[in-house]
Amino acid sequence: MRRVAVSGIGVVSPLGNSAEDAFAAARAGRSGIRVLALPEFPLAGRLSTPLAATAQLDEAALFSSMQLRMLDRFSLFALFAAKQAVAAAHRALADVDLERAGVFVGSGMGGITSQDEGYKTFYGDASDRVKPFTILLGMHNAAAAWIGMEHSFRGPNMTYSTACSSSAVAIGEAWLRVASGQLELAIAGGAEAPLSPGSLMAWCALHTVAQLDPVEPSASCRPFSKNRSGMVLGEGAAMLVLEPWDRAVARGAPILGEILGYGLSSDGSHITRPSVEGQAAALRSALRSAAIDAGAVDAINAHGTGTQANDSTETAAIRAVFGVRAEQIPISATKAVHGHLLGAAGALECVLSLMAMRHTVALPTMHLQTPDPECDLDYVANAAREGVAARTMLSNSFAFGGSNAVLVLGAGN
Amino acid sequence: MSTTFDRLSMILQQSFKVPAEKITTDATLASLDIDSLGTVELLWQVEEAFRITIPAPPKDLLTLSDVAQHIDQLIDQLAVRPAVPLTKAPAAATPADPRHAP
Repeated sequence: MRRVAVSGIGVVSPLGNSAEDAFAAARAGRSGIRVLALPEFPLAGRLSTPLAATAQLDEAALFSSMQLRMLDRFSLFALFAAKQAVAAAHRALADVDLERAGVFVGSGMGGITSQDEGYKTFYGDASDRVKPFTILLGMHNAAAAWIGMEHSFRGPNMTYSTACSSSAVAIGEAWLRVASGQLELAIAGGAEAPLSPGSLMAWCALHTVAQLDPVEPSASCRPFSKNRSGMVLGEGAAMLVLEPWDRAVARGAPILGEILGYGLSSDGSHITRPSVEGQAAALRSALRSAAIDAGAVDAINAHGTGTQANDSTETAAIRAVFGVRAEQIPISATKAVHGHLLGAAGALECVLSLMAMRHTVALPTMHLQTPDPECDLDYVANAAREGVAARTMLSNSFAFGGSNAVLVLGAGN
Repeated sequence: MSTTFDRLSMILQQSFKVPAEKITTDATLASLDIDSLGTVELLWQVEEAFRITIPAPPKDLLTLSDVAQHIDQLIDQLAVRPAVPLTKAPAAATPADPRHAP
């Protein structure tokens, strides 16, 4: 297996539209979560929790009118994040064999906004004027397809939909193919735009979303805190350029980090309730994949959704794998500030973890005011910890359906 | 004909970014980079703009003149019989529907 470098990163997120901006906000603990209100969200009043982490993208300035008609919001996010990543990767695409260049995107809900609009037209407005491209906007593989077309890639163009682990899977599968020698380059990551009215309503109906904090709405997501009440939906995209380490070095490209391994597991037990055994299996699988011992892990970006079930289960899974050393590992749950980007969450958290290692900082888990006896590890509560020289990190992504994925990340130096 | 063509021209300029000088009656859709997918969108926009319903995708729309003539034909048909309503009320459940039987 070859070493795989991350030579480009792009981000569209509630914390800003670049890796640097998102990292700075996460480090400072600035939350992108806000109350959804009129006139931007006309149906906000019907949601039990009108709350989300929204991305701000100047679509009219970044895309042509033709693209705006042909691309769902999740594809726009994906395309802009990929554009940033390619630009950062210092001519990574020059001279690449296009048949050995691939795209790997994760998305849980795909073009749900366009689907939702189509349904509204047909059912809600009782009109037959459904837009002709609704299918093309809504299909899950649209984002990956548009990225591939942008660069005329002729290698694999793959979309993974494993709910909240989708983009960790996409990055992991891309890593496997670059590491094995099958591909010379991959654009890999995730995109999600789940904030359409029908989608928000469906999430509220599931009763997994956080209650609105009446004093400070932006602090409504409280991973690992005793008074946590659920997740907050977020939107955005994060994309990486992956290529063989030697190729990036030979080109003099800036190396932003390294993918060292990737583990998968499934809970095999329940459609939503997470399992300690399933999550621990993913962690162990990741360590085996990277051929490292548990002792080599310096820090973890937790799945840390802020739901009662996930955070206690994840804590127990980390204890099960790392034993007493679990207490010495800084664990960051950045969803407290960027929300849960579902299929894009793993990619954004991968980016934040790589940035954290480069800047020798452990990112904070914000809004952790009330310790929970069942969540008794070091979550870097409420303030970034500087001077943490992590060389190897795990990024956890655990999903509905029990589809678990863990990325092993290297500092790249 | 000229009015129809002018309105078609506006759609092409505004939504498809076709330069005005390329929009002539004998210009083919292909010459304006409007492929089969683009034709689907063009006809949808034509339906919106002219408040008509194009019953099935016509196969013989080669030039802009063909498109404009097709629109005029549909408008003429509307003049002699009622238009297909653009907005339909949802069909009410029929009490006799066996699925609603107790």
